[in-house]
Amino acid sequence: MLKKIQQNSHDKFEELGYPSKKLENWKFSSSKHLKKYNSTNLDQNNFSIEKYSDKYTLCFINGELSIESLNHFIYKDSITILDIGELEDYSICSTSSNFEKEAFFHLGLSTIKTGKYFEFNKGAKFEQPVKIINIYNKSDKDLRISSFNIFKLNEGNDISIIEKDINEGAGSFNLNLNKFICPDNTILNHSMLYDDKTESNYLGYNYYDLGKSVLLNIDSMNINSTFNKSFIEVDLNKEGSEAKINILNLARGDQHLDNNILMNHNAEHCISFQNVRNILDDQATCVFNGKVIVSHGAQKTDSNQSNKNLLLSNSATAHSNPQLEIYADDVKCGHGSTTGALDKESIFYLRARGINEQDANNILIKAFAKEILEEFFDEDIKSLSEDNLNHWIDG
Amino acid sequence: MIKIKNLKASIEDKDILKGIDLNIPKGEIHVIMGRNGSGKSTLANVIAGNEAYEVDGGSIEMNGDDITEMSIENRALQGLFLCFQYPVAIPGVSMAYFLRAALNAKNKHDGKEEMDAVEFLTSAKKILSELGLDDSFLKRSINDGFSGGEKKKSEILQLLMLNPQLAVLDETDSGLDVDALRTVAKGVNEFKNDNNSVLIITHYQRLLDYIKPDVVHIMIDGKIVKSGDMKLVNEVEKNGYAWLAK
Repeated sequence: MLKKIQQNSHDKFEELGYPSKKLENWKFSSSKHLKKYNSTNLDQNNFSIEKYSDKYTLCFINGELSIESLNHFIYKDSITILDIGELEDYSICSTSSNFEKEAFFHLGLSTIKTGKYFEFNKGAKFEQPVKIINIYNKSDKDLRISSFNIFKLNEGNDISIIEKDINEGAGSFNLNLNKFICPDNTILNHSMLYDDKTESNYLGYNYYDLGKSVLLNIDSMNINSTFNKSFIEVDLNKEGSEAKINILNLARGDQHLDNNILMNHNAEHCISFQNVRNILDDQATCVFNGKVIVSHGAQKTDSNQSNKNLLLSNSATAHSNPQLEIYADDVKCGHGSTTGALDKESIFYLRARGINEQDANNILIKAFAKEILEEFFDEDIKSLSEDNLNHWIDG
Repeated sequence: MIKIKNLKASIEDKDILKGIDLNIPKGEIHVIMGRNGSGKSTLANVIAGNEAYEVDGGSIEMNGDDITEMSIENRALQGLFLCFQYPVAIPGVSMAYFLRAALNAKNKHDGKEEMDAVEFLTSAKKILSELGLDDSFLKRSINDGFSGGEKKKSEILQLLMLNPQLAVLDETDSGLDVDALRTVAKGVNEFKNDNNSVLIITHYQRLLDYIKPDVVHIMIDGKIVKSGDMKLVNEVEKNGYAWLAK
């Protein structure tokens, strides 16, 4: 089946070609620099996972699951893990019709060498979050590393997944594709942390398929990424579900961050929140394309979308495009976007109490970020993110 | 304590202060009264160093040092405190964090050690109680969601915690009910001693029912046109400002 997926995607990529700026989702993000990257063969090159791996962690090295980390993984008996090629039902790999229009989504799928299907056993309860660490350590330049994984929860599961990327190589183009299936009465908390020390490029496609009375939390913090473009799509397919997305991005230099979120309210009595904040210094740029679609019949929808951008330099640029498409008549939907510098009156107030200008600025930057971090569901992630924030502010 | 000589200031090329002379010795309470738009709040902001205003001439001396060009924070560290007319809300920064940051900046400037958490809390809780505020006030974000009275009490809390040499109260009485006005006035009287000074900027007499000034100044069109004692306040209450503008 894997070959079938690869061939289909290859054909679609050939048909679509690299995205141009004429496409809405790529209007402010050039894909030109991504063309030079070539797909790499899988190679874990005897990488030692010791310093990253504990019993709660699954390591992916250059896109492939490390067997060593799986052997140490405490919850391995509570999860069925299969190669995607072993799946009998092809439809389980399908994602959103919007991702189907994305050339890079197909480029990723066409070049994956393997992919994993994780199914959490019915009734399985995990005391600790499942940590997924994506390690990239290729020393060759201009490599593209693709991965595709499917995570399926079963009724009654309450699962937290913490995903972290670590780059130790020359800097690559990492294309991560994930699908999360959350059937009725499940809880999924998905945290993503990106802290890049190389000049890697990230492109992520995460699709969430929600059943009835599902609680979904997506938290993401992104610092030091040269280029990070993320697509998140949530299908609220049955009544009573709730999806919350909190994203904090910090960028400086020529870094470019791009968040594309699509929230599909396909059923009544569902709630969704999108809360995306960007802090930009120097010539950094960010993009927010957020959309909520409320379908016919998705009555009593409660949805809110917020994008706030803090510009610390006159050369930083934020593009914000919050959108609502509402086809039902009994809903509560709101959206808003603000972009601006640090408030001069607030700086004056703090300085008038003897706090120096730099400290006053830092207090206000932290306060702006903290309003997102306080919404993060995992206390450890919250604390780690605060540390990352402090380091970033200190330069 | 503070000597202001021929101070001229403008904002966006509009002249506001047109030559202010004011001398407030140590241990005295002075009041500046005037109509809306006479420049009272501009004077308070210029004294505090608000960079939105341009100083076009004159000087401000504090304890013999010229602070006209001094940064906002250094004025505060020298002992200047502005009680804001409209304290800004800063979501995400707790009162406790803010007060400790301010106190630690002051202690560092004065060559003292940082105040430890227990000492800070003991001191803050005592003042909160006197102001009729709950201890949980410290956990709230600065002025975020505060009522008008809470905002002004927050300013008085900061005044009493930081214990400056000169407090400039910019219409601290505005928007307060009688009970809150009494509480705020009590705080100011508690602060006041022979070694510090207070400059009160106000429209109305009512705060002066509780705080007794040594000198009253009347400001019209960016200048102090008359100075006197409490009798001057009574005259203004009775006859308005028009007779002083002539």
